[in-house]
Amino acid sequence: MHPVARLVLRNLTISLNPGFLIWQIIFPLVYIFVAGFAYSALIPEIRLGGQVLDYPAFLATGMIGFNIMNSTLVSGIIIWNDRRHGMFEQILCGPFTRAHYILANICTIAIVGLASAFLIVLVGAPIFAGSAELRPETVPLVVFAAVTGSVLFGSIASIISTRLRSSEGFNVIINTVFLFFAFVSTAFYPAQGAPEPLATAFYLNPLTYLVDVIRAGLFGTFDALAAYEMLALAAAASCLFALATKMITRLDL
Amino acid sequence: MQCIRARSLSKSYGPAPAVDRLDLDVECGQAFGFLGPNGAGKSTSIKMFTTLLRPSSGSLEVLGIDALAEPLRVRSRIGVVLQQPSYEPTLSVEKSLDRYGMMWGVPAAVRRERAGQLLSEFGLEDARRVRNEDLSIGQRRRVQVAREFMHDMDLLFLDEPTVGMDPQARRRLMDYLRRRVEAGLTILYTTHVLSEAEYLCDSVAVIRGGRVAATDTPASLRRKYGSCKTFTIRVAGPPAALSGLSLPGCRCDDSEGTVTVSSDSPEGELSAALRALAAAGLEAEDISVEHGSLEDAFIRMVDDAPSG
Repeated sequence: MHPVARLVLRNLTISLNPGFLIWQIIFPLVYIFVAGFAYSALIPEIRLGGQVLDYPAFLATGMIGFNIMNSTLVSGIIIWNDRRHGMFEQILCGPFTRAHYILANICTIAIVGLASAFLIVLVGAPIFAGSAELRPETVPLVVFAAVTGSVLFGSIASIISTRLRSSEGFNVIINTVFLFFAFVSTAFYPAQGAPEPLATAFYLNPLTYLVDVIRAGLFGTFDALAAYEMLALAAAASCLFALATKMITRLDL
Repeated sequence: MQCIRARSLSKSYGPAPAVDRLDLDVECGQAFGFLGPNGAGKSTSIKMFTTLLRPSSGSLEVLGIDALAEPLRVRSRIGVVLQQPSYEPTLSVEKSLDRYGMMWGVPAAVRRERAGQLLSEFGLEDARRVRNEDLSIGQRRRVQVAREFMHDMDLLFLDEPTVGMDPQARRRLMDYLRRRVEAGLTILYTTHVLSEAEYLCDSVAVIRGGRVAATDTPASLRRKYGSCKTFTIRVAGPPAALSGLSLPGCRCDDSEGTVTVSSDSPEGELSAALRALAAAGLEAEDISVEHGSLEDAFIRMVDDAPSG
């Protein structure tokens, strides 16, 4: 087995503990089935491209992007855990290079991101299947967006991991980042109708681009704006991945 | 064959070098002690030997491989137990041994067999299903050392591996390491507990100020630098014969029937004691000599070596 594959297997073993899996399923389910139906009276319908969606369908598809972000932020902190528990140096004493380590982390993040997306598609499908217009050509777009989003959020977590040593500082930063990404985005509510500054802030958040592209792919509303959003997502993911790689490469031992 | 050959190896983090033109030869098939006071450059040297750090200058061969040109080849043949703890907090002891072996590409059947043996050798059978984060510091350290034996290697670096271990676990580890050395493994061992180095190591190097101050067997270093000698005279006849006898510079034990002289140069006191015993009509049955401990020798080497 290739060294990167061995490290990916190791990363998955330490990331996928029962607590993480329960969190990954329960958390979005609560949003979809509690918040989704509870807020239906407040948000009766949402116009998306040529489609008219009910709120639960809108929220369930937003949860796909949300879950990708949530899971990859968690798996992106592997490096922080490894540094904290001495495993970063220990691994680099073994038959691995830093390139192996970085590649393995990014593969882990992509796998976890895709698996999380698939999980929410499975459990949320009854909610949004009625409105879905999934075409063969849009499936790769959704998968590409899921992988790109995973790399992006995983890179952000990796960058934070390389900069912070203390648990307190790390938790404050990661929770702040999580709150901003999760709630200042179109994952939970549409930008249309939101106050102007908030609607603008939505588009400073990569999660907005991710969920917009996923929704466009699932509801058959892929247009020029979605294409631009996808390009912006890919560009941001590339830059952040390059930065994360550089920072991991320069980490002192 | 030499397992480590370092020539003029230096590492600087700022103006002052942490390791300064270090020359070292470690023969294969032995336990080699790498000793020195805090800040002497031991851990930096080990990080260079294990290719974690790139030297500022000098040359380094590990297992006959140019470690600067082919670090990955070196790392695939060595084992390293670093000074700092390293563990996967959420994995059980058994699982962490298995995962570590997997990372090294050890087949599953071999991993199972080795994990079972190591759990037994390191006294961890009862803790096999306990998560690493729930172990005591000493148990966690045992897992960290045991884990390294999950994979094959030719050279093992152990940087203060017994920190936090109880005496029983330490002795168990020393005996296990000794057996592995006898089976052909080379070990480079650092510790501040010099009795461990004395018990385990065939040779030791003492490093000070980033340079090797002395290299020899522990016994030779004790003879050369362990200035304090202890002579014990066993007196013939009943032990009580010594009661009431006053010998300057000597300790008389009338329950054991011995007279002990300890000094840097005890020859004068020894002669005087023998004359005084003869004058008292007592005969020396046996005289034994013991050189100072490796710890005495170490302290003297570190204190006497010129600085810089």
